Amino acid sequence: MKYKDYYATLGVERTANADQIKAAYRKLARKYHPDVSKEAGAEEKFKEVSEAYETLRDPEKRAAYDQLGRHAPGDEFRPPPGWEQSFGDTQFSFDDLDLADLFAGLAGGGRGGRRAPNAPFPGQDFEGAVNVSFDQAYKGTEVELDMSVAERDENGRLRRVPRKIRVRIPKGVTDGQKLRVPGKGGKGVNGGRDGDLYLDIAVQAHPLYRADGLDLYMELPLAPWEAVLGATVEVPTPAGRVTLRVPAGTRAGQKLRLAGRGLSRPDGSTGHLYAVAQITVPTVVDDRQRALFEQLKDASSFNPRAHMVE
Amino acid sequence: MRIETSTAVFLDDTGAVSIAQLTEQSGLSEAELQVLVESGALEPRDAAAGSVRFSSRCVATARTARRLRDDFALDDAHAVALLLRFVQRIEELERELRALR
Repeated sequence: MKYKDYYATLGVERTANADQIKAAYRKLARKYHPDVSKEAGAEEKFKEVSEAYETLRDPEKRAAYDQLGRHAPGDEFRPPPGWEQSFGDTQFSFDDLDLADLFAGLAGGGRGGRRAPNAPFPGQDFEGAVNVSFDQAYKGTEVELDMSVAERDENGRLRRVPRKIRVRIPKGVTDGQKLRVPGKGGKGVNGGRDGDLYLDIAVQAHPLYRADGLDLYMELPLAPWEAVLGATVEVPTPAGRVTLRVPAGTRAGQKLRLAGRGLSRPDGSTGHLYAVAQITVPTVVDDRQRALFEQLKDASSFNPRAHMVE
Repeated sequence: MRIETSTAVFLDDTGAVSIAQLTEQSGLSEAELQVLVESGALEPRDAAAGSVRFSSRCVATARTARRLRDDFALDDAHAVALLLRFVQRIEELERELRALR
């Protein structure tokens, strides 16, 4: 197991009191927290300081850490004999764990207070991020997550093991959606409930569709004469192409609704697909077309800037 | 080895949780949740009914609050509520920005 100097990580003396440790952590959290920092490597740095604080803020875990002795950061070491018995009832497989697992496995005081040795203790919640394509979000999909988790073996020894979890992502997820997979976190101890797995969903952008909740939006390019005269056009939808009637006099930005063609969820809720009209003009016109446009110009009294006249 | 497939459930307005479930799933105490309710960050679904229930979306919100509390070592639930409102506002603005791009 590799040694980490938690005091150095927080930049405090080994004799620092609880207030000094908290103050040092808060300062570093403000500097490196991923929500507020744009510095390169900030997330990694925040994980390090947060791991150090998790142990040093708890008097019992701090005492256990101090008992490990002083080593150079990165040095291989093993806790002194009897170390784990002095600080709780947990047994460890030291070869498979890192320092963070070791202290997460100790009962400690923490925010909930110290628990009795045989008291039920809930399993840890896991968090994961899942990237899906637009089509997968529309239809639903299955993903496989490879995780490395600290878990107790049949003898109750804590060790780090690989774990594969297959999750069915229901149809209708949107970007930023939070999902919960009950019971797929860490195993509970002494009859405590198993933890849950929480997933953050990211949906890749689609070249045509943009989701807002269950509703979808797409741009609908129209020729000027289609917008003026009305037209029946074929448009794509995630479920296949459909014909859409464009009413005469359609303006740019006007939304034409294709009812029930948005995202849908297993509970039956369904969004709509909105085609947002865009008037597109030909950039190259031949002589005949130019002449026809000239005729139209002469025949029309339409002033698109009438509202700007003072 | 056969891997069992588990189905993920939405944390949105379609489901509901009791205050006890919200406490268990978020890691916040009832007193901390009460402060979030008073600040408007969490809204009970049917406060008039006998037992208070929350939309499942509140699980995600309360977990964010717990993360902020722990990440910034905040002792004061009011500070957590305030920070949560700022984070929610930032997320809202980021969503609007993405939609405009």
